[in-house]
Amino acid sequence: MTITDLTSMGEPQADARAEINDRLKRLQDHASDYCYQCAKCTSGCEAHKLLELEPHKIVALLKRGLITELVNSDVIWTCMTCMKCRERCPQQVAPIEILFAAKNLAVQSGKELPGKYTAMLQSILGTGLLQEVQTVTTAANATMTRDQLGLPPLSVPSDVAKFQASIMAIAMQKP
Amino acid sequence: MSSQRYALFPGCLMPTEQYAYELSLRASLPLLGIDLVDLPGLSCCGEPMKSVNQTLTLYLSARNLALAEQQGLPFYVPCPQCHLSLHETNLILQKNPAMLERINEMLKAEGLHYTGTTRLVHTIDLLYDTIGLDIIKKHVTNPLTGMKLVVHYGCHAIRPKELGRPDDSENPQKVEAILKTLGAEPITHYPQKLDCCGAPLLPNKPETALAKTGQKLQAIQELGASGVVDVCPWCHKMLDSRQTKAGETVAAKLDLPIVYLTQLLGVALGVDKEKLGFTLNLSPVHKLGLRSQP
Amino acid sequence: MRKIGVFICHCGINIAQNVDVDALTDYARTLPSVVVADHYKYMCSDNGARLIKDSIKKHALDIVVIAACSPRMHETFFRDKLTEGGANPYRLEIVNIREQCSWVHKDKPTATEKAKALIRSGVGKAQQDEPLTPSTIPVIPEALVIGAGIAGIQASLDLANDGFKVHLVDHDPSIGGHMAQLDKTFPTLDCAACILTPKMAEVANHKNIELLTYSHVQSVEGSIGNYTVKIQQKPRFVDTTKCTGCGDCAAACRLKNRVPSEFDQGMGNRSAVYMPFPQAVPLKYTIDPTKCLYLSRGKCGDEPLCKKACAQDAIAFDQKEEILERKVGAIVVATGYDLLDPAALYELGYEQHKDVITTLELERLINSSGPTKGEILRPSNQQKPKSVTFILCVGSRDETQCTWCCRIGCMTALKQIYLLQEKLPDIEINLCYQDVRSYGKGYEEFYRKVRGQHTNLFRGRPSEVRQKTDHLTMDIYDTTTNKLYEIQSDLVVLVPAMVPRATAAETARLLRLTLSGDGFFLEAHPKLRPMDTFVAGVFIAGCCQGPKDIQDTVAQASGAASRAATILSKKELEIDPMIAMVDEDACTGCGICVDICPYDARSINEKNRIAEVNSALCTGCGGCVAACPSNASIHKNFTKKQILNQVDDIL
Ligand code: SF4
Ligand code: SF4
Repeated sequence: MTITDLTSMGEPQADARAEINDRLKRLQDHASDYCYQCAKCTSGCEAHKLLELEPHKIVALLKRGLITELVNSDVIWTCMTCMKCRERCPQQVAPIEILFAAKNLAVQSGKELPGKYTAMLQSILGTGLLQEVQTVTTAANATMTRDQLGLPPLSVPSDVAKFQASIMAIAMQKP
Repeated sequence: MSSQRYALFPGCLMPTEQYAYELSLRASLPLLGIDLVDLPGLSCCGEPMKSVNQTLTLYLSARNLALAEQQGLPFYVPCPQCHLSLHETNLILQKNPAMLERINEMLKAEGLHYTGTTRLVHTIDLLYDTIGLDIIKKHVTNPLTGMKLVVHYGCHAIRPKELGRPDDSENPQKVEAILKTLGAEPITHYPQKLDCCGAPLLPNKPETALAKTGQKLQAIQELGASGVVDVCPWCHKMLDSRQTKAGETVAAKLDLPIVYLTQLLGVALGVDKEKLGFTLNLSPVHKLGLRSQP
Repeated sequence: MRKIGVFICHCGINIAQNVDVDALTDYARTLPSVVVADHYKYMCSDNGARLIKDSIKKHALDIVVIAACSPRMHETFFRDKLTEGGANPYRLEIVNIREQCSWVHKDKPTATEKAKALIRSGVGKAQQDEPLTPSTIPVIPEALVIGAGIAGIQASLDLANDGFKVHLVDHDPSIGGHMAQLDKTFPTLDCAACILTPKMAEVANHKNIELLTYSHVQSVEGSIGNYTVKIQQKPRFVDTTKCTGCGDCAAACRLKNRVPSEFDQGMGNRSAVYMPFPQAVPLKYTIDPTKCLYLSRGKCGDEPLCKKACAQDAIAFDQKEEILERKVGAIVVATGYDLLDPAALYELGYEQHKDVITTLELERLINSSGPTKGEILRPSNQQKPKSVTFILCVGSRDETQCTWCCRIGCMTALKQIYLLQEKLPDIEINLCYQDVRSYGKGYEEFYRKVRGQHTNLFRGRPSEVRQKTDHLTMDIYDTTTNKLYEIQSDLVVLVPAMVPRATAAETARLLRLTLSGDGFFLEAHPKLRPMDTFVAGVFIAGCCQGPKDIQDTVAQASGAASRAATILSKKELEIDPMIAMVDEDACTGCGICVDICPYDARSINEKNRIAEVNSALCTGCGGCVAACPSNASIHKNFTKKQILNQVDDIL
């Protein structure tokens, strides 16, 4: 006996659902099962107004166990991390944390990283930081660097090779 | 006044492009007895990677926390995103010994170890709670008289309340109180106060990110405020550096001065404007009519 | 030599299918002092009872051991059978071989062996069961009712009509409670005042009711049948024997219409000398000492204007508080509820925006004797609103505030929508709901009626309410159309959660009541003893026990009155003799038992420095027995020796 979503022929994936829930419980101490679909999260969602993210639906998909649909959807990458959903949920569910878990799963399952994420990851690997030191323009259109402004040198990982090795090791592990 | 030592956690954005924040906090905080220490070996806090791999975020945060712990120093974290990431990591590792063990296993490679004791402050609580308004007031020599400012707190400085943030999640007022102490007249409430600047969408949907910025700035401009004060390098990047572009998304001509709280602090404490990085603000900060102390 | 009979019950097949009752019976016969053992299908049936009674007579039994279900089920019943058979009812032991044997062990031999051990130990303990006689205490046929809202009023009238004297205490200057603030009641739209004020008048005039308003219960001592209550009567600074309620004082008051009226929820103003509402009972004025210039600052212009205005010379600034003492046999607690301050959900704007109000505030605006004479006006500009939005469940069903349902919010909002549409036919009404809970008689039908009247229903919760120029806006995701809407409105009405009185914990302490996790008073049993508390003689009624509507409140109040009357109608009460006693030779008077007793039943006799037990207060919990370092504290028929015997016999 099972339940089938007739629009996608998807079926609830109990194990994947349990895995995400377990992680949320462990890290954020949140349980999505208590969501009663009041949609307060979506009413205030900063991303919803511009893109199509519906946090209450994210929670519903997780509760239903339709993890493949959740993980494959592009919309999970549109969260602005404003955290209003988590802040105001009357059931103390944290849709934003479900989104993080879903994105992690997507990456883990080999989905290509959208936008600049790959570049950011590479930069961290290479320099320890999200980006290299930038030359900036002043209001008067002059260019300035960190050194010219008299700021001390950047602080970066001392042994880059070891730093990189650790990150690579983590990338191989389950989150 | 006895000085207090803090290790500075610069994060990524401030030391690689948001120099005005770094210049102004380095110039003004020592006047209030804060002694900033530069630590070697720091890296990204990992927050931007939380979407990719949360364990990586925990690891990156923990390695930075471990470096501060090694020196026995608390961290001053000017970026609210870094602050949240480091803070949440602290909380997770405190209540989850298995995770702490796992992270420490990873830290071994770099010869690091973390026990979970690094204390954190952000600009808001450093000024409001640690230093306190009384002390600040005593040092104000050049008050910001007549300035009608609004504060953009940004999301990470105030939410989620559950984890404990530098200011209240629904009615934050500490920055306003600081501004009052500096002599300004902050507008304490405005409808869009708690809204996001859009920055977290930059890696994935840069256009939409700008639209968000544009909407918020347009609303603030309509309020008739003389300028916006912020405390986050990401927000500042959107509100200040990208202001003109953001205006295009909402078909509005935006010309709102955007300043870091630490820049105004510096002015009020009598620091020479030159040292506070005002030339790096791309928004029309000249409209604020700020003067260095004569 | 004691003669013991053992009776084993099959409980249909509940016990018999998993415990060998024949073997048990044979075994019981071998135990010391057992002169008869028998088994039967249902010991609690008439035939079973007869078997026990007849055996007692035939074998001159003085002690009975029954192996059956939990003593919580039938202990009282079996005690009666002992009395009827001619044995002392306290020489009864019940051995639970159902919950502890047949239901929990799969394997019959194991269950049977365990049952044998339990019976053996039961018989062992019973050997030393002494005959006990219950003592009696006289009952004072008077009641105290705390709180004079609709629950307290109903309970008082019922008791007074039964012929008992009632002392009705309320901390407000008038009786009436929350119900007096309401305009109409759902679902019948009866005018609240029209159905409440006759009852208030009846209370005021009833020969059996002593009304103590503006008063506060200060202490409660004693026990069921005989409580001594101290009541603090605050000074009204108005001589109620002289005051005619004419209102000249309030009209003259220097602070006329400058003090926010509590009764009007701050929607209107009063003077420093005031009567909360025109139908107040008693119809007397009160001076608010925190606001009155003369009382708070010692000076009111040249002279207090109220004093000058009062033709009856009723103003009495030198009035002092009085402490009254009353003796009662039973107490009904009907202290009501508070509403959650919606500022707790700051995002909904109650604190920031004048035009965000609560249902109770709107109730005062709708009411024709309210501050706007029944006109619906926006607090910000005193204009009629063109559109009103209701938000349900503000703080209710919310893990960060109140986890429970307020049970009246949905219907209150629907009723107010109906009344608003009646008053302002062109008004636009929006309702943000999550579920509409219309569970009572005629409620669903009322909901249907409102649905048919152009109300815009949005299924969802808004995240926040914002001010936009001269109106309020909110975004709401509606899960019926799966769209996000912006609702603009002139007035936003929040339906706040119902919370326990801020003073509930203090009241509980006074009366030794227990609070449930939500902070309301805990009933003795949620289904079967909903008006009883764990303190004998103290009953609860209305919203102090948990959220309910007026219908349920009145029903519960009558129930509580009837429970109290059961006690008051007795001349004296029997007290369970299975309680603590003191071995006077062993007691050193150390007082540890006094500290440990949660029921204040222990004291040290001043004369001989020996501990005493107040048999009316002792519940037989045994705390003192465990605590006494001198073995002087003894629980009747649960002596240390008996319990050790019991343990030895099992091992
Ligand atoms: S996650 Fe929370 S706010 Fe969102 S629908 Fe569920 S219960 Fe409501
Ligand atoms: S954190 Fe993300 S999902 Fe939650 S409300 Fe903000 S943008 Fe929407």
